[in-house]
Amino acid sequence: MPEKGMIKVTDGFERIVHWMLAGSCILLFITGLGMMYRELNFIGNLMGGLVALKYVHNFTGLLFIVSLVLAARMWWHEAGKFSMPEDLEWMMCAGGYLWHVEKVPEIGKYNPGQKMFFLTVIGCGALMGVTGLVMWFPVGLSLGFVRWMYPLHALGFVVFFAFFFVHLYLGTIGNPGTVMAMIDGWATKAWAKKQHPKWLKEMEESGKLEVYGEETKEAASH
Amino acid sequence: MSENIKLFDTSRCTGCRGCQLACKQWNNLPAKQTVNWGSYQNPPTLQSNTYLIMRFQEKADANSVKWFFRHEACMHCTDAACVKACPTGALYYSEFKTVGKNIEKCIGCKDCVAACPFEVPKYDSGANKVLKCDMCESRIANKLEPACVKACPTGALKWGEKETMLKIANERVKELGGDAHVYGPQYVGGTHLAYILQEKDAVYAGLKIDPKVPLSVIAWKDWLKPLSLIAGGGVVVGSLLHYILHGPKRPDADVGQDNPAEGGK
Ligand code: HEM
Repeated sequence: MPEKGMIKVTDGFERIVHWMLAGSCILLFITGLGMMYRELNFIGNLMGGLVALKYVHNFTGLLFIVSLVLAARMWWHEAGKFSMPEDLEWMMCAGGYLWHVEKVPEIGKYNPGQKMFFLTVIGCGALMGVTGLVMWFPVGLSLGFVRWMYPLHALGFVVFFAFFFVHLYLGTIGNPGTVMAMIDGWATKAWAKKQHPKWLKEMEESGKLEVYGEETKEAASH
Repeated sequence: MSENIKLFDTSRCTGCRGCQLACKQWNNLPAKQTVNWGSYQNPPTLQSNTYLIMRFQEKADANSVKWFFRHEACMHCTDAACVKACPTGALYYSEFKTVGKNIEKCIGCKDCVAACPFEVPKYDSGANKVLKCDMCESRIANKLEPACVKACPTGALKWGEKETMLKIANERVKELGGDAHVYGPQYVGGTHLAYILQEKDAVYAGLKIDPKVPLSVIAWKDWLKPLSLIAGGGVVVGSLLHYILHGPKRPDADVGQDNPAEGGK
């Protein structure tokens, strides 16, 4: 539950889209692994067999594509474009994640690492969608083309699966306080100051910052 | 169990299609309506209800016409791309080293259709299953020869111990001379259907030249599949090490808000 003085970092729509994307993606991981490894075929039993598991995978893929489009449109502005020079400087010191850095360059709503994750999700997500649809409906396409969809789908999975754990770590225990951004959307000012200082300043200056228990300056002036 | 192969000798085949019919009969695969496309070859390619076809080819020169017949069915690779690709184990190596199929397990995903270098497995959308020749596994398990071999009236088809069959094949090739050669043992770890071809490979319509397990299948199943778990596991271990060695990124204690170390909780 938010306490007085906490700030709003995501809106409800953002959180819904995020969890649609994350939920469909994780279900795709589970069902996909159930097909990739014969040792994991038993996952199909939970769904009434492997035929059903494949249906779950294919239709979840559709939900994933929809979520991906929504996420791309929603976050493109904040996470799709790098802002120089601070993003470059941030990358030069790996955001202080790997060695001790006195003063991490101030970055906006998303740091370059998050932007790279976002762009990877969009890029690999599109690849997964296209290759998946071709494998689902290979009709009328040349065999040589269809054949390459399989390793490309697997390649996308390699990248997605690895990045997922990076994201999971950094979104939870690696950055205490962050996970609330995707749960109720409220975070402490101290968190925002540490994680997204430039964004915090901009929001405060423009008076758009929503603080729990206070009216926004904008709203107050009405 | 001894390893057997099926040997087809083009020079002894009369194109009677007894093998094609015997296959349909044994596997209970009634024909569907087909169209006349100007050839005895019917249907034009393998189908989900036709595991074996006789290929007919006419070659005419100035004053003679030559026929080429080829018995086409699953090659039963030793190193089978379809078995590698199959996610459920519906396609498997039988105790006879042929490629068997367990229809119950097939989920109709068509992964094998794209993987097979010989374009053998065919999808049946009605049943949502992929079907192909299983070398009459129920027959060979009972020491019978496959139905097609049983039906062959000329000895063009033979079924027997691998080494013996290959010896026969090599002797026959010497006898035939010219461009005659054996097709099969040199590919995909050795096929369990081998041909004695009288002409060069390129002469036979639909015959795959230098067939291999596709690189795409190797990249997918041999490289990327294990890499996915290695990379994911590496990241999990790396993250935990990061947490222990470097530590999480906590908000600074001196910033305005109460309870900074607990973040948003
Ligand atoms: C249980 C798993 C997950 C957790 C706990 C989680 C948590 C979070 C959190 C806390 C944020 C906000 C970060 C911030 O505001 O600084 C976030 C952002 C985001 N998440 Fe997740 N997430 C999960 C799974 C996923 C999955 C599977 C995907 C992709 C398919 C995904 C895609 C994104 C994207 C694109 C963003 C936007 C910002 C960025 O690029 O980091 N998330 N997630």
